[in-house]
Amino acid sequence: MDSSPASDLPVFADIEDAAKRLKGWARLTPLLENPILNDQLGFRLVVKPECLQRTGSFKFRGAYNKISRIPEAARAGGVVAFSSGNHAQGVAAASTLMGMASTIIMPKDAPKAKIDNTRALGGTVVLYDRLTENREEIGERLKTEKGATLVKPYDDPMIIAGQGTIGLEIAQQSNEMGFKPDVVIVPAGGGGLVSGTALAISGTIGCPVYSAEPSTYDDTKRSLEAGSRQSVPIDSVSICDALLAPTPGVLTFALNQRLLAGGLSVTDEEALQAMKTALLSLKIVVEPGGAVALAAALTQKLDLEGKTVVVVCSGGNADPEMLARALAS
Amino acid sequence: MVSISDIRKARELLAGHVLRTPTVASPALSRLAGADVYLKLENQQVTGSFKTRGSFVRMAALSDAERKAGVIAASAGNHAQGVGYHAEKMGIPATIYMPANTPFTKVARTEALGASVILEGETVAESRIIAEQVADDAGKVFIHPYDDPHVIAGQGTATLELLEDVPDLDVIIVPIGGGGLASGCCLAAHAHNADMEIVGVQADAYPSMNQAFRNEPPHGKGATIADGIAVKEPGVLTTEILKQHMADVEIVREADIERAVQIFVDVQRLIVEGSGAVPLAMLMADPDRFRDRKVGLIVSGGNIDSRLLSSVLMRGLVREGRLAKLRISLIDMPGALAAVAGIIGNRGGNIVDVLHQRMFRDVPVKEADVDIAIETIDSNHVREIMEALEAKGFGTRLLSDTSLD
Repeated sequence: MDSSPASDLPVFADIEDAAKRLKGWARLTPLLENPILNDQLGFRLVVKPECLQRTGSFKFRGAYNKISRIPEAARAGGVVAFSSGNHAQGVAAASTLMGMASTIIMPKDAPKAKIDNTRALGGTVVLYDRLTENREEIGERLKTEKGATLVKPYDDPMIIAGQGTIGLEIAQQSNEMGFKPDVVIVPAGGGGLVSGTALAISGTIGCPVYSAEPSTYDDTKRSLEAGSRQSVPIDSVSICDALLAPTPGVLTFALNQRLLAGGLSVTDEEALQAMKTALLSLKIVVEPGGAVALAAALTQKLDLEGKTVVVVCSGGNADPEMLARALAS
Repeated sequence: MVSISDIRKARELLAGHVLRTPTVASPALSRLAGADVYLKLENQQVTGSFKTRGSFVRMAALSDAERKAGVIAASAGNHAQGVGYHAEKMGIPATIYMPANTPFTKVARTEALGASVILEGETVAESRIIAEQVADDAGKVFIHPYDDPHVIAGQGTATLELLEDVPDLDVIIVPIGGGGLASGCCLAAHAHNADMEIVGVQADAYPSMNQAFRNEPPHGKGATIADGIAVKEPGVLTTEILKQHMADVEIVREADIERAVQIFVDVQRLIVEGSGAVPLAMLMADPDRFRDRKVGLIVSGGNIDSRLLSSVLMRGLVREGRLAKLRISLIDMPGALAAVAGIIGNRGGNIVDVLHQRMFRDVPVKEADVDIAIETIDSNHVREIMEALEAKGFGTRLLSDTSLD
């Protein structure tokens, strides 16, 4: 299954095309910074807050780019996706906008808020029991019965191109604001967001791009170092629930290997501290997984002195309990 | 008075000294409120609120001699930050008077910006009287937080930017404390479109501008989450301007403001202080008035204390039935507590806190109360757990303000 993905890989033009498609549908999230925080840090920290995106995370971009390309004839079959989190909401919102039905297969024990949000966005939620049922089988059944199209969370060229519009916006907005980023840091789970962003940056600003991960789910970092796709142990735990893919995607890793300057990782405690800084200094709500790139910058996993760094805060779907925990950290 | 050209000049003056904050469309709040909602994010402004605009414009107008002499202000909050920040950048010595009971963190934050802080007076109003007297005696300029043409012109620039981003708004909802932000908003908006409706909103604990519109004596007291607009007496100049531009001043309830802060966190993923959430509270309190209209909310600031923010979040869980506190009476015999814990656990409740009150409760000696905080899915779940406990003979009462309806 690793066989020659090169022909499937998205190229820069795919991102430009995705940007046209997303215009008016995805929010153009602003670039934010706090001059007082910058003074304290000794470098310029600019945040791309995808927590302000439709559905509270960047996932809407890829989902809309993918779903809006489904041929007319296949639209009646709707879409199907597996997710307990941000991808579910992105897919539900995008398909509703396209007038398509979406079925999201979620574990029975998923947080009620996420199930409710997915339903509110127009998705039909099918709950399954993690212990006794196989979600792939349920998905296959829906595909054959209804002719539904499966929307993968990251390993799909149009998903990657959609997420890459973030990189394009960083290039355009920084130019309008009159500065040039020296470094860009992006959270990585399966690697769709960071690979797309890196592809966009490589065709525009051309500065180094790093991935950021939880230290217990540093599969992209390990894979970059090893030169091949590596997995983290199956029993690994992290509070960064949005980034718990144990292995990089095939397509995403092929891009990341070519485009990334390196992989960074942060502890859960560092992610919590970054959430607190986001809440109190940047006035935005960031979920633990969304805060890892910010955490990598704040704890200077790279030497950033005097530089301008752009970090993507990829999502804000954190429970109040988690926010309270971050505030107490 | 203040004119639109003063606001435009202020805008030029401010370039490079404050942030040009973004305006974002909010599909989520639009859906919730049934209107087309746009947010002007002054919580993203330097020092976390719009106040920095007015204070800069005021200080930029000082003569060389006045700059040398230094400035004085009275505030424990956003105005202190705004004055302190720019005074330091402009090389102007600043002294800020705060009430004696001001929390240490607020003092430290202002001192960190380079200002000297003097704690004097019981309330901000008292601190201000002292500060104005000191300024008079020492020949220093007192930087008024709102009742000053320069300040009003500066605050008006926020609305200028909002209208640049969304020129065809039908309504702007703006918080009112002393009235500086709202005055600037009215002048900028009505120069752009004389028919635009400007809705000014106050917290019900401090309805001083609303009272000024009725020629009633101002009275405001007590604690409010909207401390940024807890102003006992509105400005003279601001009252005059607002009376020309709006028919009335609206009031929102404290509980609605708290809920609006929570909605900003839950739905919009933004941290907004109480006074900055007042426009959303207004929108949610009277949705019919704004239905299907294009509404701009001035989200005036984001400086909320971390403990206050935490408690708003946790109280939100209680309101939604996701955190409940039960008082359960048990016969004081071995194993009763374990049995209770078992019943709750079996029903999927997660116990987060237990307080056993054997010693001090006013209950028969063989009985004891235990207070248990549990995480639950929703109010149905709470009811289900209570019924299960009752069925096993444990009298159960709900302590928190969870609604089971």
